Amino acid sequence: MNYARAALAADQNEATVLLNFAGHAFEPLPSGGLYWHAECTLLVADLHLEKFSSYARRGALLPPYDTGLTLKRLEADIARTGAERVIALGDSFHRDEGTTTLLDADRLRLMALLGKTHWTWVSGNHDPSPHGLGGVCVPVLEHRGLTLTHEPRRGVPGLVGGHLHPAAHVVSEGRSVRRPCFVHDGAVLVLPAYGSSTGSINILGPAFAGLFDLRALEVTMLGRGRVYPVSVRRLVGG
Amino acid sequence: MPLHPKITGWFEHKGWSVRQHQLAVLEASAAGASALLIAPTGAGKTLAGFLPTLDDLAHHPRQGIHTLYISPLKALAVDVQRNLVTPIEEMGLGIKVETRTGDTPASRRQRQRIDPPNVLLTTPEQLALLLSHADAAHMFRHLKRIVLDELHAMVTSKRGELLALGLARLAMLAPTLRLTALSATVARPDLLRDWLAAPQPEAETRLLIGQGGASPDLAILTAEDAHVPWAGHSALWAIPKLYETIKQHRTTLLFVNTRSQAELLFQNLWAVNEDSIAIAMHHGSLAVEQRRRVEAAMAAGQLQAVVCTSTLDLGIDWGDVDLVVQIGAPKGSSRMLQRIGRANHRLDEPSKALFVPANRFEVLECEAALEAVAIRAQDSEDPVTGGLDVLAQHVLGMACSAPLEPLGFFEEVRRAWPYRDLDWQTFERVIDFVATGGYALRAYERYAKLRKTPEGLWRISNAQVAQQYRLNVGTIIEEPMVRVRLVKGRVRKAEDKGGATGPIGRFGRVLGEMEEYFFNSLSRGDTFLFGSEVVAFEGMFETEAYVSRSTAKDPKIPSYMGGRFPLSTYLAQGVRKLLSDPGHWSGLPEQVGDWLALQRDVSILPPADSMLVETFPRGDQNYLVCYPFEGRLAHQTLGMLLTRRLERARARPLGFVASDYSLAIWGLGDISAMIRTGRLSLDQLFDEDMLGDDLEDWLYESQLMRRTFRNCAIIAGLIERRHPGKEKTGRQITVSSDIIYDVLYEHEPDHILIQATRRDAARGLLDVERLGQALKRIRKHIVHKPLDRISPLAVPILLDIGKTPIFGEGRESAMADAAAELIREALGQT
Repeated sequence: MNYARAALAADQNEATVLLNFAGHAFEPLPSGGLYWHAECTLLVADLHLEKFSSYARRGALLPPYDTGLTLKRLEADIARTGAERVIALGDSFHRDEGTTTLLDADRLRLMALLGKTHWTWVSGNHDPSPHGLGGVCVPVLEHRGLTLTHEPRRGVPGLVGGHLHPAAHVVSEGRSVRRPCFVHDGAVLVLPAYGSSTGSINILGPAFAGLFDLRALEVTMLGRGRVYPVSVRRLVGG
Repeated sequence: MPLHPKITGWFEHKGWSVRQHQLAVLEASAAGASALLIAPTGAGKTLAGFLPTLDDLAHHPRQGIHTLYISPLKALAVDVQRNLVTPIEEMGLGIKVETRTGDTPASRRQRQRIDPPNVLLTTPEQLALLLSHADAAHMFRHLKRIVLDELHAMVTSKRGELLALGLARLAMLAPTLRLTALSATVARPDLLRDWLAAPQPEAETRLLIGQGGASPDLAILTAEDAHVPWAGHSALWAIPKLYETIKQHRTTLLFVNTRSQAELLFQNLWAVNEDSIAIAMHHGSLAVEQRRRVEAAMAAGQLQAVVCTSTLDLGIDWGDVDLVVQIGAPKGSSRMLQRIGRANHRLDEPSKALFVPANRFEVLECEAALEAVAIRAQDSEDPVTGGLDVLAQHVLGMACSAPLEPLGFFEEVRRAWPYRDLDWQTFERVIDFVATGGYALRAYERYAKLRKTPEGLWRISNAQVAQQYRLNVGTIIEEPMVRVRLVKGRVRKAEDKGGATGPIGRFGRVLGEMEEYFFNSLSRGDTFLFGSEVVAFEGMFETEAYVSRSTAKDPKIPSYMGGRFPLSTYLAQGVRKLLSDPGHWSGLPEQVGDWLALQRDVSILPPADSMLVETFPRGDQNYLVCYPFEGRLAHQTLGMLLTRRLERARARPLGFVASDYSLAIWGLGDISAMIRTGRLSLDQLFDEDMLGDDLEDWLYESQLMRRTFRNCAIIAGLIERRHPGKEKTGRQITVSSDIIYDVLYEHEPDHILIQATRRDAARGLLDVERLGQALKRIRKHIVHKPLDRISPLAVPILLDIGKTPIFGEGRESAMADAAAELIREALGQT
């Protein structure tokens, strides 16, 4: 019933929604970050820093602002939650070389964040190599009974990951909205992609096939300034 | 100089004489002038355009390209070749004519650049490609003439901008060339002449107006015992009479406004086709080969009726059409005149046309159109100006051809009419955009596509840049389409309702393609019409939509989206005038007259020079219905903005629906009472200042802006166009261009591409320009009528609720609904 209470809170326009997973309470943020109050820790997945600039050599000169916007979101979330620790769940950089292509302003910004918080970089498929920007680089992190990793998989109870960029699509009376979401089934929790340059994939699509116990699925969508725990019955594909 | 004897001999042999306007074009050409020939279809316009070429080449045979013919239609270029090559052969002139379109084999295109024909028939896109090659200057240096066909249709879109830029370049390469343009009648011929004259201000450009044909024979279809419905677009009521009418004519062209209307009409006619007459359908979703087959059958006189959309607005001369039928809203007078011109190409006989209104408002619109067409009122759109995305594409293309000298190139660009007012600063920003993305943050110097040489010329960095340009050339962007595949339907069990978790077979037959956005608001089980059968939506995976056969007789979701063209300002005025003056109602069908009389009795008639706003309760909600008659697009924008304002005024709006004529907003707050007690002022609600901050706020999150941005970004070369079988699908491009837009808008809202997007949206999908004019018109001229129930005039728009897309705070509230449902589930209430 905790989940329902959280939903009730959401309905009453209260800012805080709580997400209970594997015995821990988290606050899903509208930015896509997940705040772990008990540990003063902000979890984020799939920042994909330096994604747009990585297309430049192929002749697509996309706006070089995605990294800055993502860092700005992080600054705001850290300030708002007072997080002391940040765990980035992989694909923090769109490519390993991203750590070297940062523009000066973005690099300074990131350094300031790294100086302010204990930072853990979990490696992802886009950024498998450790780097020396600051903080700690690890392939995977076990903490308080949770497995914090990049790629989610079944059979590891208490796994928290990213990688899949989950989105939910709900339809109601001719209105339709598709947004990134948090999704879990009590055993596996997948965070939405946090980066400003990232797209998303419908959780009903083949990419998620076999990952979740559908009967226990809980979905929290990102709204404007708040999040919405939504009924699974309303989900559609596409 | 008299016409060459081979040509006069041919005319004599045919028993024809050279027409007045054909002579006028010859005279202009002989005097070294360019010419704009405005004449109705069927006046021998095409031949008029080519006679100076034939005559010149008959007197002075030569190698190489003499005349470039540019048409908006690929198929038209093929058709003209037929109508041009035959006379040339019969005259024995030995002139080489070839076409060049996207379908021309690469080997022939290659050869055409080395050994061009005397007359090359092509499209604006192919011209841009030709000009981007290093040998363009050589190829076109002796070009004498350019013939532009259907100019009126090209100048109102970005293709016209691209064409104008290409002409400016050609005029620079071959200063002695002269232009001849052929056009249907337009609202402002002088403007079109300026457009044509712009590349060569030193040359004379004559305006030649051909004689109009006999006045058309027009009527509105009526049927004694039929009932014109309040709303809807199927025109089902008229089918029996329509079928009889078709049988009485040789060949009938039936124009509709949208593809889904075409599908529906075709299905309905087929259902009553007891005599098995030959009826075919022609629209943009059909495969090209199928369309060509229909055209061929039509030309061969094998069809008695063709249901078509604007795909047959232009082009091929159908000799045998003796009746044109317009089903549904005529939208504009010029458009109708052109469509009616499709019937009967002999000038001296009247064209015969029939209007078929699908609902009561359309009866009024048809009446207004009848009057407008009878006096040949022109309300065509003016040529468009200054698209910076198109300019960016052109800059890159010209740099591919040769390094650009900025000052000279700037002057050349300003000789393209749409860019005549371009300022140097904007021009430089466009070049900077092409070179490095044009960002305030200089991030891409080392990846620059253009670099400045020590001599100050802009040169492309490498050959890959030119390759990329050639793959992306053109301004026509296809909507992202999804394949529609027929699968076996799932058995819908009660407990399975809504949750899309069961497996479905994915190996059915592909029925065709449809715009992706249509599927975004469908739920599983929703039925709609596709390929003239009713199907049920099953789900969507990647770029395919799965549907199953449905036993439903009527589709639940109409795919009618109103068509691209809004009601013209001219016709809107006509409708307002007709409505406000009962003296004009005598010609209306009885039920329509009764409807208006009832409106007069229980509410008021919308006055001609002000705007009526009705407010009334219905169920547990309150409605505000206004009647601006400014077209669906402008009304949608108005609806979005009013909803925001009503939200702030605490009227708690829930949604709105817009038609070409009116706009209905509903919500929980008692709007009548709010106005009565002075808590809400209609003058303030409809104040023009909504086009300031409110518009800006909304644009940021508007899906229409994102769609517009995608088109601009592709044209400008920021993101690549989709190529079949290569990398991204259209669907993925949509997603990523949305993200690019979000990032760019948030960080650099005055970037040149956002600027281009905003401008396009203002006159395109959002029609802000028209809304602005309307708000100005009704300022302090709002008539409010509070009612205790719905008015007769409000019935049609309220019937549209649930049938056309509903807008509102929608997106976010759909999530709130799903959250509320979760609570009910948790509390055991479901």
